[in-house]
Amino acid sequence: MKISVCIKQVPDVNAPIQIKEGRLIQDSDRNILNAYDASAVEAALVLQEEHEIDEIEVVLIGPEKAKETIRKALAMGADKGTHIITEDGISYDSFAYAQLLAAYFKENEYDYIFCGKQSQDTDSGLTGSMLAEFLSLPYSTNAVGLEMADGTLTVKRQGDAGQEVIEVPSPGLVTCSNDMNDPRIPSLKGIMQSKRKPVDTVSVSDMDIDLSDESIKTKITSYEEKPERKAGEKFEGEPDEIARKVAQLLDTEANVI
Amino acid sequence: MSTLLTYISVNDGKLKRSSLEVLSRCNELAEEHGHQSDALIIDPNASEVAEKVKAYGPSTIYTIEDPIFKNHLNTPLLKALATAVDQVNPDVLAFASTESSKDILGALAANQNAAALADVSEFDLTNDGVKAKRPVMAAKIISSVESAGYPTILTVRSGSYDVVEKSGDSEIKEIPFSFDEGDLKITLKEIIGATGDKIDLSEAETVVAAGRGAKDEEGQKLVEELASLLNGAIGASRALTEAGIYDPSLQIGQTGKVVSPQLYIAVGISGAIQHVAGMANSKVIVAINKDPDAPIFDIADYGIVGDLYKVLPPFIEELKKIKGNS
Repeated sequence: MKISVCIKQVPDVNAPIQIKEGRLIQDSDRNILNAYDASAVEAALVLQEEHEIDEIEVVLIGPEKAKETIRKALAMGADKGTHIITEDGISYDSFAYAQLLAAYFKENEYDYIFCGKQSQDTDSGLTGSMLAEFLSLPYSTNAVGLEMADGTLTVKRQGDAGQEVIEVPSPGLVTCSNDMNDPRIPSLKGIMQSKRKPVDTVSVSDMDIDLSDESIKTKITSYEEKPERKAGEKFEGEPDEIARKVAQLLDTEANVI
Repeated sequence: MSTLLTYISVNDGKLKRSSLEVLSRCNELAEEHGHQSDALIIDPNASEVAEKVKAYGPSTIYTIEDPIFKNHLNTPLLKALATAVDQVNPDVLAFASTESSKDILGALAANQNAAALADVSEFDLTNDGVKAKRPVMAAKIISSVESAGYPTILTVRSGSYDVVEKSGDSEIKEIPFSFDEGDLKITLKEIIGATGDKIDLSEAETVVAAGRGAKDEEGQKLVEELASLLNGAIGASRALTEAGIYDPSLQIGQTGKVVSPQLYIAVGISGAIQHVAGMANSKVIVAINKDPDAPIFDIADYGIVGDLYKVLPPFIEELKKIKGNS
C-alpha cells in the first residue's frame, strides 16, 4: 500500500508580517511545513508503524526553495518526495493547485491521498476536496482520527452535529485536522537519512495544464491590516467588587445581558 | 436576470441563523443590482422547512427532498447541489460557513468548473463575478479577493451580516431528485456526541469559553453555570479539548469553530493568536484571567484581572440579580 501526502510550504503565521502597498512582506526564512500537512504526514507515519504500508510519499508544489520542506517531511520519516516545481514568485489559487496535483496523480499510483485540511496562510480548505472530485475519489475532510483495518480507512471527522465516523474505501482521499496528533520532531538520524531519500522533480511547464492568467478563477487583489480591536477597560482589585462592576456594565453600558 | 442562490442549512428541522444571514445579504445585493434572490433547501423535510424560509423573502425557494439527507454525506449532497445548479443556473451560490459546507465547497467548485471563495467576511458583486474580503494568516490580515466567471460559489462566516425578515410571496419549486444508495462512495457508520438540543456554538448569541485556567471540575462547573444563566453556549480553548475535558466540537479558534456572538466571555484563556482567530469578531468580549499581561486583555472590552474561582461566583450572583430585575 502507498499513501501520498500533499504538503505545502507556508509562511509562519507567528512571524512578523508587514503590508506595503497592498502586498504582504514576509521573512522568507520563516517558511515552514503547513501545520495541517504535518499532521497528515504524522497520521500516515503512525499508520505505517501499525500496518503494511510500503511507501509514504510527500508531494509538494512550490519553487525550488520549497525543497527544504520536502526534506523536513522526509526527516520525519516519509520515504520519498515529489517536487512539482513552480517559478519563483508565482502563486496559484486552490483550483490550479488541485489541477496540478490531479494531473500528477492521474499518472502515478497511490492507495490513499492525505492532505492538510487547509493551509495556515490562506485558510481556504478547498484543495483537498477539489482534488478528490478531479480524481473522482471518495473522500472525507476534517479528519480528527484515522483507523485502518483490512486496508480500508475509517475516518472520524468533525461535523456540524458531532463526530461522523466514515469508511473511506481505497483509493480515497482524506484531509486532516491538526487536532488528531502532535507531529513528531525529526531526530538527528532522521535528518541525516532524509538527505539520502529520493526526491523526484516535475516541472509545471511540462504538465499539460493551462495556468494562464485567464484560467485562474480567483485572485487576491490586496491585503490590509485587520482593524485592531482596541483594549477596553481592565479592572484590577477586589475580585468581588470588580466582578459586580463588570456585570453591571454589561447590562447598562454594553447592553448585552 | 441574474440569480443569487442561498443554500439554507438545516439542523434537525431548525434553520441555521448563519444561512439566514447569507440570504439577507443576497436579498440586499439582488435589490441593489436588479437581480433575483432565491433559496435552496436540501433536507428530508425540505417542503416543511421552505414554509419557515418564506419569512425571509426569497423569490423562489427550491427544495430537494430525500431521506438520504438526514445525515451529512458528501456524495448525495454534491449530486443534489449539482442538480440544483443545473436547473437554477445561478451567478452566485452562497452558503453559510459550516463544517458541512466546508466539506463540499471545493468538490462542488471542481465539479462545476466554478470559482470558489471560502469563509468570506464580506462580499459584493462585480461585473463578472464576486469581490470579497476574507481573513488570512490566522485572521491577522484581511485579503481582498475577486472571482471571475459564474457561478461563483462562496461560504460566509457566521455573524458577518444581520438577519432581516422580508415579506413577499415566495414560490416553492421542488427539484426532482433521486439517489441510489449503491452510488454512495463513503459509508457513514456512526455519529458520536451529537449535540442534540444543546445550543449550537457557531450560532449562539452568548459564548462562555473555558481555557487552561478552568481545567478542574470546579472551574467547569462555574463556566457551565454562567453559560446556562446567560442561555449561552460553552466553548473551549485547544488546551482543554486536547486534554479531553471538552468535546473537540467545542473548540474555538483557527482549527476549531469561528464564533461571532454578541457576548464572548473568555474564562482563564490567555489569548493565543490561534484562539483569537476564532473569536475576535465577537461584539463584546469579556476576559477573566489572573495574569494581567495575558494577550486576551488586548482585545477585551472588559478585562477582569483575577482568579476565576474568586471572580466568577460574585459575577454570576450579580448577573442573576440583573436578570431577575429585567
